Amino acid sequence: MQQADGENSVWHGSRPSLWARTAACAAIAFGLWAQSASAAALHLPSHEKKTLKNGLTVLLLEKHNVPMVSFYLVVKAGSAEDPANEAGLASVTAGLLRKGTKLRTAQQFAADLDYIGGEFDADAGQDFSMATAEFLSKDLNRGIELFSDALLHPVFPQEEVDKLLRQALDGVKAEKDEAQSVLGAYYDAYLFGNHPYGRPVDGDENSLARIKREAIVKFYETHYAPGNAILAVAGDFSAPDMEKRLEEALGPWAGRPTPAPAIPAASQVKGKRMLLVDKPDATQTFFAIGNVGVTRNDPDRAAIRVVNTIFGGRFTSMLNEELRVKSGLTYGAWSGFSSLKEPGSFGMYSFTRNETTVKAIDMALQVLDELHKKGVNEEQLTSAKSYLKGQFPPTMETSGQLARLIAANEFYGLDDSEVNDFEGRVDAVTPEVARRVIEKRFPLDNLVFALIGKAADIRTSVQKYATQLDTTDIAAPGFWPPVPKAPKD
Amino acid sequence: MKRYLVRSLVLVLLALSVGALVRAQEFPVETRTLKNGMKVLVQPDHSIPNVSLYIFYRIGSRNERPGTTGISHFFEHMMFNGAKKYGPGELDRVMEANGGSNNAYTARDVTVYQDWFPRSALELIFDIEADRIQYLSFAPDKIASERGVVASERRTSIDANNFGTLDEQLWATAFIAHPYQWPVIGWMSDIEQWTIDDLKRQFAMGYSPSNATMVVVGDVTSEEIFALAQKYLEPIPSHAPPPPVTTAEPEQTGERRLVVHKFAQLPILMIGYHVPQTNSKDYYALEILRTIISSGESSRLYQRLVDKDQTALDVEVDVSPALDPTLLVVTAQPKQDVDPQKVEKAVYEEMERIKTAGVTDRELEKAKNIELARFYHEMQTINARANTIGTYEVFFGDYHKLFEAAKNYAAVTKEDVQRAARTYFGEKNRTAATLVPESEEKDKR
Repeated sequence: MQQADGENSVWHGSRPSLWARTAACAAIAFGLWAQSASAAALHLPSHEKKTLKNGLTVLLLEKHNVPMVSFYLVVKAGSAEDPANEAGLASVTAGLLRKGTKLRTAQQFAADLDYIGGEFDADAGQDFSMATAEFLSKDLNRGIELFSDALLHPVFPQEEVDKLLRQALDGVKAEKDEAQSVLGAYYDAYLFGNHPYGRPVDGDENSLARIKREAIVKFYETHYAPGNAILAVAGDFSAPDMEKRLEEALGPWAGRPTPAPAIPAASQVKGKRMLLVDKPDATQTFFAIGNVGVTRNDPDRAAIRVVNTIFGGRFTSMLNEELRVKSGLTYGAWSGFSSLKEPGSFGMYSFTRNETTVKAIDMALQVLDELHKKGVNEEQLTSAKSYLKGQFPPTMETSGQLARLIAANEFYGLDDSEVNDFEGRVDAVTPEVARRVIEKRFPLDNLVFALIGKAADIRTSVQKYATQLDTTDIAAPGFWPPVPKAPKD
Repeated sequence: MKRYLVRSLVLVLLALSVGALVRAQEFPVETRTLKNGMKVLVQPDHSIPNVSLYIFYRIGSRNERPGTTGISHFFEHMMFNGAKKYGPGELDRVMEANGGSNNAYTARDVTVYQDWFPRSALELIFDIEADRIQYLSFAPDKIASERGVVASERRTSIDANNFGTLDEQLWATAFIAHPYQWPVIGWMSDIEQWTIDDLKRQFAMGYSPSNATMVVVGDVTSEEIFALAQKYLEPIPSHAPPPPVTTAEPEQTGERRLVVHKFAQLPILMIGYHVPQTNSKDYYALEILRTIISSGESSRLYQRLVDKDQTALDVEVDVSPALDPTLLVVTAQPKQDVDPQKVEKAVYEEMERIKTAGVTDRELEKAKNIELARFYHEMQTINARANTIGTYEVFFGDYHKLFEAAKNYAAVTKEDVQRAARTYFGEKNRTAATLVPESEEKDKR
C-alpha cells in the first residue's frame, strides 16, 4: 500500500499499469487518525519507557517475527514552529540531516545506508518532525551508528542546503501539476489563514526562496535536543541490550533547554467562504468542504471516529454511497478529521467532472444535512463499530507501525488505553452520544470550501455556496494568500 | 530526503523482486487443487486475528480487443454490484458490517480481488465470493452509474495526472501489435461504449474457477480453508479459459519518440525498453541491474541526475510483473526549464557506462542486500504476503519460486548484469516519451 508516513499525509495517485477499484489507501491516509482503534482481543505489545541520562525519552518494543528493527524519532517541533514567512523550514531541516555529517558526506551516507539495505527518512509534520529508519537486525550496529550520525552530527553543508532548497521548490511546482496532491495544502491555508496550521508543511515557492542556511542551523540548534525528543524502537532486539546501545550512541547528544511550542487553538470559521483555484486544463473539479475540527485527544474521539466511519470513513459511508455508488458522479467521496495537538481540519472530499460540480457539491451538502437531521441509527452504529474493530489489527502489524504508534501516543500524552480500551470506548457510543457529537463536531452552517478546477467553466455556478469567493491561479506562487505575508513582529 | 515521484500501488508487487538470501523465512504454504481446477494456497499465520484473501483471475487488458479496451477493469468494478444472494450494494454492506473490507485491482495480465477481514467473517467471505463467481447480475442502472465511476477514475488518473498521461502514450507507442499497447483502464471512447453483452462475454471468458488462484494468509488453518473451498467453490463448474494471446510484439528495430504537450510546470521524461516476461531467465539479472541504477540515493541514476547534474527532481525505474514481454520504464522528472533531452542524454551515458565498464563488486553486493531487506519488509504483513505468493504463483508459474529467489539472486554475477544492460538498454529497443509543459490550455477539439 502507500507509504504516506508521518503527519503530513498526502494523496498519491496510482500508476496506470494497475487500476484499483478504490483508492482506499489514499483516502484513509488522508482522512483518518494515523493512530487508532483496537479490537478487544488485541493489546498493544508490552513496551518499556526509559529516559537516557541526557533526557531523551526512549520507548522499546520487542517483536521478533521478522529480523528487522524500526526507529521512529519525534522532535517536538514541526511546521507550526516555522517562522511565518519561512514555511518549510522544519521540513528542510529534517531533510538535510543525512546530507552531510561530521563523519560523512551526503554521498557517503547514502552509500553506507544503501549498502546494508537500510532506510532512513526525515520530514516534518505540523506538530512535530520525525526521523524514521529501518534496518535488518544483523546490521543493527551499523544502523544505529548511521541513525545517530544523522541526528547528532549534521553539518548542513551550504552546497547541500542549496541543492535541497532548489529541489523542494521544484517539488512544490511538481505537486501543483496534480490537483489532488495539493488540495489539502490549499484547503489548510484557506481554512487556517495566519494560524500556524495554515502554513504549507513543505513550504511554497516564496518561503523556500527565503530560507537561508543560518535559519536551518538555528532551527536545528533550537529544537533538536534530547529533552525535546522521543525515540521509539520496535523489532527484533533485546530491550536491555538496545537500551545500552542507545545510551552509547545517543548519550553524547548534549542536553539543552528548548522552547515549549505554543500553538494557539484556531477557532471555527464563521459564515461561508470559498477558495477557487484555477487549473485551466482540469476536466474534473477536486473539492474540500469543512471547517476547523478536533484535537488528537478530544474526549469524544472514539465517538467522532464511529460517526465519521458512518458519514464518510468507508466504502458504504453515506457520502460514498450517494456520490459514487448511487449516482456515479465520482470515483470516491469521503470525510475525515486531521486531529492534531490543537484542532486540525475536518473535511468532506470528492471530485467530479466539470459539468457535475454543482450536482456533486449539492449532494455532499445534502448528506451533511441529513446527518444532522436524522443522526445515526443502531444498525449503522453496530456496523461501524464492527468495521472499526475488524480493520484495526492490520494497522499495528509491523514494527514500523508500532514504533510510530507508541511514539505518537507519547507525544500527544495518550497511553496504551488508546489501543487496549478502544473496543469498550467504541461500544459505548450510543445514538444519543452520536447526536451530541454530530451537533458539536460536524459543521453545518459555517463552511469553508476549497476547489481546484477549471474556473472558466465552474466559477459562475459555484458562487452560490459562499458569501465570499476568493480565486487564485494554480501556477501562482504560494497557496493562500498568493502574496507572501509579512513576517510577524 | 523526500522522493518526489508518485509512489504506487505497484509497490506491493515489488515483493516480486525479493529473495530470501540468507536466513530464509519459511512459509509453510499448503496447496489444494479443487476438482473444478481452482488452486487454493494457504499460509496460516496467527499473529493477528485477521485474514487476507486474494483471488487472482488470469484475465486482464491483455485479453481484450480494440473497441472494448478497459472492459476487464470495468468488469472488476461490476463484480461488486450484485449477484444472486448478495444483491446490489449488499456485498459491501454485509462485509463491512462484519468487520471486513475489500478492494480489487486490474492489471494487464490479471484481475485480483482482495478481502481483508477478521477471522470471524471467514465463512461469510466464501459465501460472498461463491455467489459472485456464479451468479453475477448485470443490472442496467448499475452499469450506467459504474460507467460514470470509471470515467471519473480515468479523468483522475490520466487527465489530472501527467505521469498517467505520458505513460499511456508511451505504451501505445512502444507496442504496435501486442495488446499491452492499450491502457488497462481503457480509452475514454470505449468506456463510453461498452455494452451489457461485452460484460457478459468477459464473464464467460475469464471467470471459470479453473482460471483462478486463491491465496489465503492469516489466522486460519489450511484444513478449514480447504473444507470451505470444497463446500462453496468446488461445486462451481468450470469452462474453457480465455483463448491464448498469440500476438507477439515484433522486435523493435529503431528508436521511437513521442511528445505530449500539456498544461504543467514541470516536464516529464519516460524511456521504455522492451524486456522479457517475468518468468524469463534474465529476470534476476535485470532486477539487480534495476536496483543498482535506481534504488536509493546512492544509485547510479539518482547520483547522476538528482545529486550531481541536479537536472531532475527524482528518477525511478519500474517493471511490473508480466506474462508476456513487457517494458522496463525509466521515469525522470526534469526540473522546471531544464531541457528534458539533457536528462535523457545523461540517462543514456549512465547506461553506456554499465555496458562498457560493468558494475562493481560492491554495487552487486549492495543490490543483493537491498533485495534481502525488501523481502523482509514486505513479508511483515499478511496482506503483502498473500499478494506476493499469488503473484509468484501466477507470473512465475509456481509459488516455490519465491523461496528459490534467494539462490537465483545469489547466482547473479557482474557479467550477467553487464550482459543484461547490453542486451536491453540499446537505442533500437527504446521509446522515449517527453511531456512538454504548456502554460495555457489550447483548444484540443
